[in-house]
Amino acid sequence: MASRKADFSVVGHDQPRLDGAHKLTGRSLFTDDVVLPGMLHAKIVRSPFARARILGIDTSAALALPGVKAVITHADAPKLYVGIEQPLFRHTIVNYIGDEVAAVAALDEATAAEAAALIKVEYEPLPALFNIQDALKADALLIHAKAKGNIAWQQAQDLGDVELGFANSAHVRTDQYTTHASHNCYAEFHVAIADWSLPDKLSMWTPTQTAILFQKSLAGALRLSDGQVRIMSLNTGGGFTGRTSVRPHHYVAAVLSRKTGRPVKIRATADEEFIACRAGGEVKYTFRTGVSATGQIKAFEADISFDTGAYVESQMIVLTLTSSYIHSLYKIEAARYSGRLVHTNNIPYYFHHGGGLAQMAFGLGQHMDALARELGMDPVDFHLRNGVTKGYTSMTGTFFGSCGLAECITKTAKQAGWKRKYGKLPPLKGIGIGVGAMASGAKGVFKHDTSAAFIKIVDDGTMSLFVGLPDMGQSSHTAMAMIAAEVLGAQASDITVISGDTDIVPLDVGALIQRGTFNTGNAVKSAALDARKQLEVLAAGRLGVKPSQLVFRDRQVYPKGQPEKAIPLKKIVYDTLHSREGRFVMGRGFYNSPKDSGTMAYSFGAQIAEVTIDPDTGFVTVDRIVASHDVGRAINPRIVEGQIDGQVFSGMSQVLYEETLLEDGQVMNPSRLDYRLPRSYEMPKVEHIIVESIDPFGPFGAKEVGEGPIVCTLPAVANAVANALGEPVNEMPITPWKILQILGRRAKG
Amino acid sequence: MTRQLITLIVNGDRYQVPVAPCETLLDVIRDRVALTGTKRGCTSGACGVCTVQGDDGRAVLSCLALAIEWDNRPVTTIEGVAGGDELHPVQKAFLEYGAVQCGACTPGLIMTAKALLDENPDPDEEAINEALAGALCRCTGHIKVKIAVREAIKAMAADAAPEDGHGIQEG
Repeated sequence: MASRKADFSVVGHDQPRLDGAHKLTGRSLFTDDVVLPGMLHAKIVRSPFARARILGIDTSAALALPGVKAVITHADAPKLYVGIEQPLFRHTIVNYIGDEVAAVAALDEATAAEAAALIKVEYEPLPALFNIQDALKADALLIHAKAKGNIAWQQAQDLGDVELGFANSAHVRTDQYTTHASHNCYAEFHVAIADWSLPDKLSMWTPTQTAILFQKSLAGALRLSDGQVRIMSLNTGGGFTGRTSVRPHHYVAAVLSRKTGRPVKIRATADEEFIACRAGGEVKYTFRTGVSATGQIKAFEADISFDTGAYVESQMIVLTLTSSYIHSLYKIEAARYSGRLVHTNNIPYYFHHGGGLAQMAFGLGQHMDALARELGMDPVDFHLRNGVTKGYTSMTGTFFGSCGLAECITKTAKQAGWKRKYGKLPPLKGIGIGVGAMASGAKGVFKHDTSAAFIKIVDDGTMSLFVGLPDMGQSSHTAMAMIAAEVLGAQASDITVISGDTDIVPLDVGALIQRGTFNTGNAVKSAALDARKQLEVLAAGRLGVKPSQLVFRDRQVYPKGQPEKAIPLKKIVYDTLHSREGRFVMGRGFYNSPKDSGTMAYSFGAQIAEVTIDPDTGFVTVDRIVASHDVGRAINPRIVEGQIDGQVFSGMSQVLYEETLLEDGQVMNPSRLDYRLPRSYEMPKVEHIIVESIDPFGPFGAKEVGEGPIVCTLPAVANAVANALGEPVNEMPITPWKILQILGRRAKG
Repeated sequence: MTRQLITLIVNGDRYQVPVAPCETLLDVIRDRVALTGTKRGCTSGACGVCTVQGDDGRAVLSCLALAIEWDNRPVTTIEGVAGGDELHPVQKAFLEYGAVQCGACTPGLIMTAKALLDENPDPDEEAINEALAGALCRCTGHIKVKIAVREAIKAMAADAAPEDGHGIQEG
């Protein structure tokens, strides 16, 4: 065990977020708050058909409307692709309801909307495909000529001798699960401002999880060099895996800005939100697992089909993520994975909170629970028996330098009163457990997984920390300031975090794959150590000790064990500059995983949910959730709790509430009144158990907490419902209607 | 479109603004008065992020209110809640108890909670739930928001004990 919390003056203590007062007083800027000189407003003309041939586009009436500055169609961006198969605008065939056909820029939003309505597009409706089964039929129409059999992407892999594993199994169980389309419901809607008014520089203001990916994608698609694209990410109103790619509206704003020579803002309307990003989707999962008589997993097989909608962009990563998931959670000796992205004429699939893993965990967690029950084994014992442990290396090459999975499971079970309750609750009351694992960063997006940081310290001892990691609400900037403050003996509030402008901040792959605390945290720690080294020269001389004997703490520097000799930190800073050497203290550092591929650290969690089913309405009330998470070390414990809370909310919401209802490609509930989310009064009591396994590679031992908890919530709630009903519901969301159907069927006998 | 000159009174400041009959209070506050703390969300009354406080102290969805109806009627926005550098007890509690994450819904939540507590300094669980039900938050799971509201109630009760309260004066 490394240092305890008491050894730190900043890390491990509750720190209110540094930008909190700004956010609470209306001072924080979001993209929609930005007004640039001469800025225009854009609207997109979208297809009203799921599949149709475009017979003609007449833009003359729109162009004649006073205040309209430009109308663009495919002819204005013929070679511009969003991803690999989606031209920015369609001119032959449209492939989903919402497909981009044209766009308008005008002096104000109302004029742009009026002009968009004046663009006449003549369509000839064509047959379309709306689900995986139909799209995979041998005689199905082809949505894209290059995607044979409507399969946009596929992946298959055998690790170990799978057939032998199943042959050696005492029990084999197969289950199938289905999830449906959903939506992230960001508090901040999709929005972008592009300023490409001069040809050699495109500046784009937009919420994003990764400025570097946006910079590279925009530069590549618009034939600019990386340095000619500047991404300005201000505050980002939620990420949830869904803000990791450049979407069509970003390109539309850029092209309109170039055409008009003026900045252009584009913002999704309430119903466009559901078109701009269909999060989650219909996914069909088949899991097959073989176990020994004592419940040890001998072989595992997964087959997964995703309805990827009309186009793919970077969604293939979901296949990589889901194929490796099982190996991060259980000790497996033989595994087979096959997965495919299937084209339909639905809105293109993109990620929901949990990045495809949480949705997979809905089924996987129920499957394992059912398997344990079939063996007469307590699910808690099953997970403990098969779960990965510290020091284990998986067959995918992941080494677990820290692992608090068993501790999470046992502590959660104890606090929840599992043994007292499991199998002993009255009818329609249930308890269920979900376990999960999550990577802290991974190579794969690029050859590197680098985060870099600069820090500068001025005369009064205050510091500016420059990072490329965005803060979408997870309080990453406060955590980074805390890490730097701990190293330099400062307070977090002494540090201003500078972020969000790629012309200024150093490179960072971004806030995705839960890499922020781990990767950027390590980079910040390294930059702070570099700055400290520069201060140690003078401090060691003054105090007559070796640099290694210095302690930086509470804005003081002193020899170890002799705080009475302390010199104020700011005096060391001041004297380092105001000296013959004149050194201005600037630290720099970066972190990149030393591995060729994969992940340096996984975090783990276990959650136990208790539910009550109302037999009259079929409504499931979540009464209580005990949630544990192994974060390695909690840099900022209250924020860790907040991350767990948010994921419990989103997890139970996905299991019980959320569904983007699609009928022949049309969203039937495109508003926040019709799309169900839990309201504040529907939230259960959430009890937190923070497990600190002190990872050997993480900054101060820290690992992620960004998406680890949610992969536990979905199976915990689903298993609790199954426990209450006495049978599982294999389709998500588990709506009251589905439960009533089960209860009604039983009543009829 | 014919515009009418109105006097909008925001956080005690008077603004003469020409508005068209169809313009919302939200758009005028953000785009003309240039107070962007009030966030633009669904613009259809479903999400609550645009909440401001009206002259009767009640929470108002500014995306559904027509600006022209707010001629000479005081409005409090998120920028007018703190007393100078001193945060309002609701803001303080949100900060201290970790009820702020991405911050996009935060101004609406603060205005909703403040309007509730101005009207009823001692709301029960049901009243808190009812007030917050219209303010959607995707990040916090509402848990720490409710903790913060309860803590703010306690802090305001303690503040109110010696003399008369922290209420924001309008006009």
